[in-house]
Amino acid sequence: MSHWMFNCKEISRRISESMDHNLPLDQRMLIWMHLLMCKYCARFRRQIVMLREFCRSYQLNENFLDPTAILSPDARERIQKTLKSSSA
Amino acid sequence: MTQIAEENLVADPNLDPETWVDQYGDYLYRFALSRIKDQAVAEDLVQETFLAALHGRKSFKGHSAVKTWLSAILKHKIVDYVRKKSRERTISETDTITATVDGFFHKNGSWKIRPEKWKLDPSKIYEQSEFMDTFFKCLAELPDRLSKAFILREMEGYSTKEICNALQISATNSWVMLYRARMFLRRCLELFWFNKTKEENR
Repeated sequence: MSHWMFNCKEISRRISESMDHNLPLDQRMLIWMHLLMCKYCARFRRQIVMLREFCRSYQLNENFLDPTAILSPDARERIQKTLKSSSA
Repeated sequence: MTQIAEENLVADPNLDPETWVDQYGDYLYRFALSRIKDQAVAEDLVQETFLAALHGRKSFKGHSAVKTWLSAILKHKIVDYVRKKSRERTISETDTITATVDGFFHKNGSWKIRPEKWKLDPSKIYEQSEFMDTFFKCLAELPDRLSKAFILREMEGYSTKEICNALQISATNSWVMLYRARMFLRRCLELFWFNKTKEENR
């Protein structure tokens, strides 16, 4: 039982790695087989993928913005002044 | 804004920065406010963004729209701010999370701290500002280089190669760092978000 395919630590490392570059086919198959047997590694994989999805949606999503929020006239003036003095 | 106007902006990034405030000020402010929840801080971040843009104008190649470019600067400012702020607080809570990957596993490589079931609908979680707070708090608890690698990869979508260049590390090193960051963040969210909400729902 010493092969890495039975080792959750090794598997979780490779799962993470597979999100950053393509693993060789044989490794992917062994990971896949492990995931069928091990719910914790399967969960780990799901959750770090979820983490990625969250981060990416955080980057893109504008739907969460409050359309009524606007810069106050004071702040607008202050920022414009700062920009002006800084670009002069 | 019309398509033509936008194209002109891209073609001429050096145009009067004063018009930036009118064109993008509200959008950036909204964005900052959605992350920070503090009006004054959000205003400051918008100002800092414009200033950084002003100084970095020459490096803007027009590959992206001005709005995208400004948003990218703002996002860095937000992350910097949150990380700085969370470092000012003394957090002892996250000490309970094992700092090394080894701590998550038994000697034989099986899970010691098993990933728990997350019950919430992820599409809803992201809307909650408390989740954001927890996420950034966890991110700030990571060692600097790990959080930087994570932000570049997962938030900015950098490739391994780009991360290696940015952080001056090897590819293998970057994968190990990302692995550690994911391992830590996953557990941190589990402890300080998912477990907490589970208890509240009981």
